[in-house]
Amino acid sequence: MTGGAGAFELRSVSRAYGDVRVLCGASARFGAGRTHVLMGPSGAGKTTVLRLLLGLERPDEGEVDRPAGVRLAATFQEDRLLEGLTATANIRAPHGRLRGAALEAFLARERAALSSVGLPVDARPVRELSGGQRRRVAILRCALADADALFFDEPLKGMDDETVARVMAFLAPLLLGRTAFWVTHDERELAWFPEAVRWDVGGGFLTRR
Amino acid sequence: MARSGEKNLTAPARRTRTWAARLAAAAFWLVVWELAARAIDARIVLVGPLEVLARLGGLAATGEFWASVGLSLARIGAGYLGGAVLGVLLAALSSRARVVRELVAPVVGAMKAVPVASFVILVLLWVSSSYLSVVIALFMALPVVYTNVLEGIEQTDPALLEMADVFGIVGWERVRLVYASQVLPYLRAALALSLGLSWKAGIAAEVIGLPDLTIGEHLYNAKVYLDTPDLFAWTVAIVVVSVVLEALVGRALAAAQARWEARP
Repeated sequence: MTGGAGAFELRSVSRAYGDVRVLCGASARFGAGRTHVLMGPSGAGKTTVLRLLLGLERPDEGEVDRPAGVRLAATFQEDRLLEGLTATANIRAPHGRLRGAALEAFLARERAALSSVGLPVDARPVRELSGGQRRRVAILRCALADADALFFDEPLKGMDDETVARVMAFLAPLLLGRTAFWVTHDERELAWFPEAVRWDVGGGFLTRR
Repeated sequence: MARSGEKNLTAPARRTRTWAARLAAAAFWLVVWELAARAIDARIVLVGPLEVLARLGGLAATGEFWASVGLSLARIGAGYLGGAVLGVLLAALSSRARVVRELVAPVVGAMKAVPVASFVILVLLWVSSSYLSVVIALFMALPVVYTNVLEGIEQTDPALLEMADVFGIVGWERVRLVYASQVLPYLRAALALSLGLSWKAGIAAEVIGLPDLTIGEHLYNAKVYLDTPDLFAWTVAIVVVSVVLEALVGRALAAAQARWEARP
């Protein structure tokens, strides 16, 4: 079995920023191969949970367990794109240096993905794309990465309904059977994940619903 | 549509007017220069633009002129490139290892502070005059490139580095994808700035070191023989080479960046 297939877990985790206590002894076990939707109002600590699970922050107290050797991919709250590169080069960035047939195969996959979410395939660097287009590039970079766990921090924020429908029609099937974390405060997004585990984040804890 | 059409109509007209104004200003000073030369009427003190142009034309017809320009250019160019490469390498090392950074800081500070003339005389004691302009051009380019590139590396967006951490973009891929694009504007500014510096300091070094068949040697001879038309003609040649070089290097860098960015 390849590494990184296990569960993520928070055990009695506390995290504060100055005087603001975001998590107070929160515990949660996130099973592998499921989509976990983290709901809650802004400031409830959803992004903090993601950053802890991604290993970008350490808890003040408690423990964060991650599967050994887990390969990660994330759509951050900001796009965090490589501004000077094309959409395809950005999406390919986590894949190392592909050559020859491997490159052609992945490029074909990228182009198909771009057109299915309504993005043009061209030679423009992403800094010349619109905000909504850039967001979709960030989502595709995450979705097409060879990762064991995918993290999405409010990926659909500010997208119109039509674009959301296109993006989700592409994305939802890709996430089936994979470990994914989906942060949102929009209840409607739950409809895209009939199999998802729903977590409510608030008051310093995570509650499974 | 309407907006871009309107822009297309006015832009060339505006550009023509700007250029007309610039040419008029340049012509005004050329006329002043010519009149001043005629009023003074002493070729040792000042020669007019027409005579300079004639002398330059005469020089350009000789093989010696082109050989001298070529030799100066090759040596200074080699030093400039060497300085740029060393500057980038040192900056990369400095950003990784604090020891290197602390060690390099006073050296680079000294390279910036010490006057070129002192350097030239010191370097003349170390190497033959043929290599003098190579070393001086290198000394000019290195600190500028080093300082700028190091600044660029330091200013790399931490959010992008975090992204690279999450996706496991490490090693050379991290340099190629994350750092390269963040540092590029700093590198381009440094290369443009140090090109002019290296060229002029390299010529100044040649005037002191007098290697055979170089621009500097001809400038020196003009001084020795009080040949003011020669001095002016060579100076014009130096300026023209400088302007052409800057345009070529600037365009080459822009084209290289555009090509790199357009990769699928």
